[in-house]
Amino acid sequence: MKKRRFSPFDILNYLILALLGFSMIYPFIYILVYSFNDGKDSMLGALYFYPRKFTFDNYAQVFDNPKIWQAYKITLFRTVLGTFLSVFLSTLMAYALSKKSLPGRTFFTFYIFLPTIFSAGFIPYFITLQKLHLINTFWVFVIPALFSFLHIVIIRTFLQGIPEELEESARIDGYGDFQIFARIILPLSGPVLATISLFVGVAHWNDWFTGAYYVSDKNLIPVQTLLQQMLTEAEALSNSMQQASQNGGQTINANVAGSTPESLRMALLVIAVFPILCVYPFLQRFFVKGTMIGSVKG
Amino acid sequence: MFYLFMLPGLVWFFLFSYVPLYGIQVAFRDFQFSGGFSGSPWAGLKYFHQFFDYYQSSRLIRNTILISALKLLIGFMMPIILAVLLNEVRNVKFKKTVQTLSYLPYFVSWVVVVTLMQRLLAQYGGPVNNLLESIGMVKDPIQFLNNTSWFYQMILGSDIWKNIGWNSIIYIAAIAGIDQQQYEAAKIDGAGRFKQIWHVTLPGIRNIAVILFILATGSLMSAGYEQLLLLSGPATASIDSVLDVHVINAGLNEGRLSYAAAVGLFQSVIALVLILTVNRVARKVSDVSLF
Repeated sequence: MKKRRFSPFDILNYLILALLGFSMIYPFIYILVYSFNDGKDSMLGALYFYPRKFTFDNYAQVFDNPKIWQAYKITLFRTVLGTFLSVFLSTLMAYALSKKSLPGRTFFTFYIFLPTIFSAGFIPYFITLQKLHLINTFWVFVIPALFSFLHIVIIRTFLQGIPEELEESARIDGYGDFQIFARIILPLSGPVLATISLFVGVAHWNDWFTGAYYVSDKNLIPVQTLLQQMLTEAEALSNSMQQASQNGGQTINANVAGSTPESLRMALLVIAVFPILCVYPFLQRFFVKGTMIGSVKG
Repeated sequence: MFYLFMLPGLVWFFLFSYVPLYGIQVAFRDFQFSGGFSGSPWAGLKYFHQFFDYYQSSRLIRNTILISALKLLIGFMMPIILAVLLNEVRNVKFKKTVQTLSYLPYFVSWVVVVTLMQRLLAQYGGPVNNLLESIGMVKDPIQFLNNTSWFYQMILGSDIWKNIGWNSIIYIAAIAGIDQQQYEAAKIDGAGRFKQIWHVTLPGIRNIAVILFILATGSLMSAGYEQLLLLSGPATASIDSVLDVHVINAGLNEGRLSYAAAVGLFQSVIALVLILTVNRVARKVSDVSLF
């Protein structure tokens, strides 16, 4: 194709998209800057693109805090275990459903589809969790998040693309159903498993609701719920600070260094956000395909 | 053997989807925990009456529909616009970078988004207000959060910011699937950029847009509880109270389980009716439907 001239439309278009891209990344730059800047110094404001008084103090203090360590452990553990179990069991089920010859296949597909268009609502679900004695245990993070209709459909569609002949030749070699699944199907499903792992992993990592409503044991609170609690506290704090400044109190002494609750919160925010932000660009080409299958078949 | 592979899934869907469906009956009973789903005494429609007699019920319904309709109409168009704009970009590197950046907010939780809003949109010392002030667009810093006159903009804006990139993926893929010859033909017919977008690009993504729209209408009765739980506060109580949050507050915080279940059931039934209606209309009008 011939190289086209830059029309006013092009310029406007590039400008809009550049602004959009900037608005997506800047908030994360902002918290990164504040998390590496001295807390007391940050209170002077006017920090935009790079730290003024660089320090690792905020991180050191965050990692020193046993409450945060405990929350981080819960988040890591539920994400790893929850993602592994969910992806493994969903793939097993999707594999069975991908067999066109399986009697009752349509019925089973409908059985898992129905709840997506009519759900019972929060309360019956909550009572069910209670009756199953999941409330206030670690397992409430893992078991209720094991399956999802959409994920099963995405995996099933992918598996249907694997040639039958591979399985047949393996069967002739004396492989059983589970051996075929473990040695042939799983190794060939890399892209779709990566996609679903990302979906499930992100959902686990980001879930604050379960920790806030289904768990009261302080030792079971994940990082996101901790951040949510800080959100409410920070609101109260900023309200009282605003009142104080309106009353003419509050002067900030810039010569004192040290962390503040806010700078610690920024550091915590960074460690709660960056693991995922570092992973997703590498999985991009997989999940773009995954979402397409999902929306077309869903 | 294949049935054995399905067994964990079948049991799970039974426990976590069908048992709660059976548990819907608590909306018609005076639920007591010791009695379980079917052991508590019948209450008839008592809790439904209680909800509709509640002086705020019409306001709850109004707020819910207003917020989700705004998201449905504006939030639905934005990803399409983004996909079309990206399609007009010739520089592949620039396009890929914007795309990757636009997915970013989708991967963080609402807690993080609201924390970011609290910082960036702060009335005093927030960078957005600082910028607006320094370029002279405002005289006094704007109170974006906890302010009724900015509440809907914040809800809508943060929803778009978080989801626009992710939701555009499907449209970008659909546009990529359009036959290039159609563009060539349009050019020979003398169509400019906008005519090409209007007559080739948009029709090319129509079907997928209809399907996604049907799916989205199902959530008209739920305005997004995570976002609203976090963004609502006493200052905006008159316009931020929605059904989802009401169910959670009444049920989980106040322990009025039967009442909350009744409100939730009302919500689910309307959602089902909506999705079936839109599906039927779409099938009649454009031959595209979900089922």
